Amino acid sequence: MEEEQSFLDICGGSLTLQRRYYSPSCREFCLSSPPLSLRSLTAVTCTVWLAAYGFFTLCENSMILSAAIFITLLGLLGYLHFVKIDQEALLIIDSLGIQMTSSYASGKESTTFIEMDKVKDIVINEAIYMQKVIYYLCILLKDPVEPHGISQVVPVFQSAKPRLDCLIEVYRSCQEILAHQKATSTSP
Amino acid sequence: MAFRGGDWHGLSPSAALPCTNSGRYSTYRTRTHNICMVSDFFYPNMGGVESHIYQLSQCLIERGHKVIIVTHAYGNRKGIRYLTNGLKVYYLPLKVMYNQSTATTLFHSLPLLRYIFVRERVTIIHSHSSFSAMAHDALFHAKTMGLQTVFTDHSLFGFADVSSVLTNKLLTVSLCDTNHIICVSYTSKENTVLRAALNPEIVSVIPNAVDPTDFTPDPFRRPDSVMTIVVVSRLVYRKGTDLLSGIIPELCHKYPDLNFIIGGEGPKRIILEEVRERYQLHDRVRLLGALEHKDVRNVLVQGHIFLNTSLTEAFCMAIVEAASCGLQVVSTRVGGIPEVLPENLIILCEPSVKSLCEGLEKAISQLKSGTLPAPESIHNVVKTFYTWRNVAERTEKVYDRVAGEAVLPMDRRLDRLISHCGPVTGYIFALLAVFNFLFLIFLRWVTPDSIIDVAIDASGPKGAWTHRYSYSKKRGQNNEISKTR
Repeated sequence: MEEEQSFLDICGGSLTLQRRYYSPSCREFCLSSPPLSLRSLTAVTCTVWLAAYGFFTLCENSMILSAAIFITLLGLLGYLHFVKIDQEALLIIDSLGIQMTSSYASGKESTTFIEMDKVKDIVINEAIYMQKVIYYLCILLKDPVEPHGISQVVPVFQSAKPRLDCLIEVYRSCQEILAHQKATSTSP
Repeated sequence: MAFRGGDWHGLSPSAALPCTNSGRYSTYRTRTHNICMVSDFFYPNMGGVESHIYQLSQCLIERGHKVIIVTHAYGNRKGIRYLTNGLKVYYLPLKVMYNQSTATTLFHSLPLLRYIFVRERVTIIHSHSSFSAMAHDALFHAKTMGLQTVFTDHSLFGFADVSSVLTNKLLTVSLCDTNHIICVSYTSKENTVLRAALNPEIVSVIPNAVDPTDFTPDPFRRPDSVMTIVVVSRLVYRKGTDLLSGIIPELCHKYPDLNFIIGGEGPKRIILEEVRERYQLHDRVRLLGALEHKDVRNVLVQGHIFLNTSLTEAFCMAIVEAASCGLQVVSTRVGGIPEVLPENLIILCEPSVKSLCEGLEKAISQLKSGTLPAPESIHNVVKTFYTWRNVAERTEKVYDRVAGEAVLPMDRRLDRLISHCGPVTGYIFALLAVFNFLFLIFLRWVTPDSIIDVAIDASGPKGAWTHRYSYSKKRGQNNEISKTR
């Protein structure tokens, strides 16, 4: 079963949330942001090249023009490979754990996996971020020494930063699975 | 006088008691407000302003309003925290400049404060303390955003020296277009009205309060064989430590069965130590050093007479606390002190060694003849005077009044600034107000209000916490009823 819904991120950009229900104990949430638009790419390239051309007319050194080309190319590569995240996925499997995958625009993927017996809870928290106060979803990890303590807070959907309505959707589904997991782990 | 002020007599005794469940629902009849308290001073910093904000917020939440507090980060305490009853506190990462007060540029705090005001749907900004730069910043931004503003002044100022001339000028600018101002005593109101050149009609007097359950008398703790005079204050010039050093040898010479207990720390402690050395009073004058607020009561109940030698005071909390512990109070007649307690509970003197000694001798003779009222009866009288619930009720009236007023539109605000604050300052701040407005328009363009998520209420009429709380309480009550059946 697959559902698709569109939401906004905290800056007003659009996001798409895909929910895949593989089985009652396994769900995946996929937040994808729109790909790099041709318009912004052209705008950035044009400003860099115009600035370079301005410098070129001032000091008449053609090195500047070729440097500008290299800078835009390298900048674009770096941006696509290290900065721009197109898709973030949260896969939660009842008896196994939580896997977070972020795929970069270049196709690179980085994955984190958290075992279920380390997960204490999933909550929505508030934080001051830049000049904003935002809500974010995070996974609380159990402290191995002290069973009631929290050793670490892992934020989810770090680059997409969806708004509260989207977070609540994901939160509810995750809580259902966590409750299911707790019920099955204590019953036998 | 404050304790005879209009609202006191209208209060039935039950209103001063802890709100019962039925009282909880009857309070919803008035309209509720979304209030944002702004001050640089809040817990974990300790002091009068901090506890004032906390207690007032708690009582306002109890009355069904939504309250949030905005302050600056203290060490690693930053971000958002919840206190009792879902009181939300924002610790903003702003730089502290001097004495726990943040640096101000009038602009840099606008993005964050605007974001908070919008997401919490704040309708009234209530700033505290004239020493707090953040409070003034918030007032400035709130007026730019068209929100209602209230300011509480907690201190008295002079007029003569350079620093007070400057701060008074800034206060004039900050308060000239504020909707309402609250002072803690009539003396403080007079002072603020003069300093900021205000219309006295928009200044209300709402005194501070004490928690009477913290300050209960304990007559068995004090020895009856000797008389003890207690002094609890910071040992600084303003609190009249020099007067105290003149009083101690004189009275100790006259009454061999008289002891002093002095709590507090400060630069003038050395004077008291000198006096103790010179007159060989080590066994009769005890210097306790700095006291924590929770220890104050244990010191107070050891004495018979409380002495306050302040040279200036807006509203003296210490004498109310002492009277609440059942001590006879002797104090100087300065600032707002004469308004605080009725004449039969306090002996007022001029701020001189001679007059204070006479006052103390009067108290001692009363004590020896046994004509002083019993501590328990003093406590019962005093505990009805200053309660936080009463303060919250009166503050609520101010909010109701302010909510009905219109906020000055930009052009009238500029007119007011220019006409009210003198030619140079007026034009400078009018220009800054225009810049602030342009900055706000820019911020609204970058992140429109519709993009900002509305925060989930913890307190207030639709509060997530208070609802569950009242629900479970109601259920608990039902259980109780069914049990008694």
